Amino acid sequence: MRALWLLPLALLGSCASPAPDKTRLVIQRFFGACEAEYGRATDIAKAEGECGIVTTMINRFQAENPDVDVVENVVFWPGYDQLTAQLAANDAPDLVTMHGSVISDYQARGLLEPLDADLAAIGAPPASFTTAARTAVTVDGRAWGLPIDTWAPLWHINMNLFRKAGLVRGGKPVLPRSPEELYAQAQQFRERTGKPYLVQGAANEYAGFTRNFYTFVMQQNGTLFRNGRATFATPEGRNALQLFKTIYDRDFTTKNQDYSAAVAGFLKGDGGVFLVGTWMVGTFDAESRKTSGALANGGYTVMPYPKLFAREATFADGHVWVMPRSNHRRPGERAAAIRFLKFFAGHAKHWARTGHLPAFQAIIDSPEWRALPHRDNLAILATTAQPLPKQVRRQFPIETIVGTEAASAISGAKPIDRTLSDMERRVNEVLENL
Amino acid sequence: MTRSRLAVALVVLAAVLMLVPLLWVLALSLKANGELMVDTASVFNGRFTLENYRNLFGNGAVFRWIGNSLIVSLGMTVGVLILASLAGYGFARLEFRGRDALFVIVLLGLAVPEQAVIIARHQMFSWLGMHNTYQALILPGLSAPFGVFLMTQYFRAIPKDIDEAALLDGASRFTIFWKLLLPLTIPAQATLGIFTFLSAWNDYWWPLISATNKDMFTLTVGIASTQMNFAQTEGLGFLMAQAVFAGAPMLIVYLFFQKYIVQAVAGAAGR
Repeated sequence: MRALWLLPLALLGSCASPAPDKTRLVIQRFFGACEAEYGRATDIAKAEGECGIVTTMINRFQAENPDVDVVENVVFWPGYDQLTAQLAANDAPDLVTMHGSVISDYQARGLLEPLDADLAAIGAPPASFTTAARTAVTVDGRAWGLPIDTWAPLWHINMNLFRKAGLVRGGKPVLPRSPEELYAQAQQFRERTGKPYLVQGAANEYAGFTRNFYTFVMQQNGTLFRNGRATFATPEGRNALQLFKTIYDRDFTTKNQDYSAAVAGFLKGDGGVFLVGTWMVGTFDAESRKTSGALANGGYTVMPYPKLFAREATFADGHVWVMPRSNHRRPGERAAAIRFLKFFAGHAKHWARTGHLPAFQAIIDSPEWRALPHRDNLAILATTAQPLPKQVRRQFPIETIVGTEAASAISGAKPIDRTLSDMERRVNEVLENL
Repeated sequence: MTRSRLAVALVVLAAVLMLVPLLWVLALSLKANGELMVDTASVFNGRFTLENYRNLFGNGAVFRWIGNSLIVSLGMTVGVLILASLAGYGFARLEFRGRDALFVIVLLGLAVPEQAVIIARHQMFSWLGMHNTYQALILPGLSAPFGVFLMTQYFRAIPKDIDEAALLDGASRFTIFWKLLLPLTIPAQATLGIFTFLSAWNDYWWPLISATNKDMFTLTVGIASTQMNFAQTEGLGFLMAQAVFAGAPMLIVYLFFQKYIVQAVAGAAGR
């Protein structure tokens, strides 16, 4: 009878036993789990979506490298609490997915391994990355990871409504070239369609406000951070907030929608332009191939943020493979990790199907990538997408502060000048207490 | 008569109102994610699917995570019952120096939130090399000041005459505790056991940072890990299937122990 009680424990124990004579490689990632659909898939070309493609890639690597025992840890997005805990316990995985904006937080504390030499050895030197991807992984002149992609907020456009609004010329959407043109086109759009020009997920969702603010300050050649301190209370900052406050005040945008409601709203034709990132390109394009729905019959296209001020620029971030520092990692395990990075770089073209911008310039220049839907419109992002300076640490909490403050100014709850000084003060408090 | 019918009608109405969100979750879990992304009102179009549950069960690790949750929850429940009963008996019945001061110190534990000690606790288990073990998931939960308080109060409410009569008959302290008093505390044990089991089953934070190896994930951490970045938008049906799946064991526990749970809640309200 006692043995019966022990049976479940014994079964559980047996599941965890490591494969003998194999090098253990622990890969920790976000992007969700899709084992039911892709648990055994190895044909990367047939995989779809972030989860499907990354799972299939790891399966394929495992199949091609029988001497390596890949342990895949899928963590709840973004997984930094777990990673920090693992580093504190000196139990770091061999490779981890990380946002480019987070790298400097870990690098500054000596928690990452530089990978310059390894990247060069596997044929993926930083020179082969796009400007945006190279910037994302470079701190103090060294590369701290293999970039997976670059993502940026985009203008997802309902072409059916744009046609109705008279804002299509030569099959292309007519986009504004200044704030005044934007207001005029939004006015025209509303008069002809009865709908707001913009769709925004703005309720309980502050990242969008931050991305807009950063983007339009960057377009004015404004300085967001100088010598490690925020400098938001500037004329450029004021213009960026005033732009969206005017849009809000003149009802050129949907209001009170959270992210999910905004996605659904755009799919139902609530407005002309949805401000959201690269990750939605595939979903919206699939909708446009249907014969019914607001985006039906090719009624969708996507463009980078239009140049409303002095230069083309869009705030960007990206995903990166990094190698946390570990006292326990054996040379064989490190070699297996580098082998995986080489494998990933060799198959990076498949990741481009997720909608994110490829990290390698050669892929962006390839006819294969350009032939993917809408990618020609987005190729310019390889040079115009711009992350924050790497000296800026704690970019996730800063994003929340900037977003909440911007939201209060745009909704009229707080004057713009006071908002900018509050935003600057609060962010500098974070930066001063590192 | 009219008044009692009105009361029943109000109770039924309240019960229906309570059920609506749960039924909504269940209905969403039976819908395709793509449909829900466009419009959650598609729940009413009559097209349902078990795809989300297939995807959930298709992840072989789910059953391991359930096993882990069961081991942790049961282990913590048994441990808390034993320790809280012994401590409660000690504080209620035994005379020793510093007893009252010690009891106050134990009660102070109620005022210290988990967040305040989490770093120190993590560091301690790290030094001991115990992360990613069942011990790490169970041991912190054994420090249960509420349990000690509850059992102390319960033991205090039992007349001391019982102990004195047994002592006169030559019974040892442990015999009195084990054979006479402990059976009288079954309602309190049930209350404490149920609350401990529920809180251990639902715990997320500590397992998140202690169990970083997927083989040691509990169900809460495991199912969270399967979510995509924008699960609430692109995978709403799957998210709801996870919620149903994670809540189902609790529902089963309630069905079996509803008598004790109702007593526990009523007792807590009465006190």
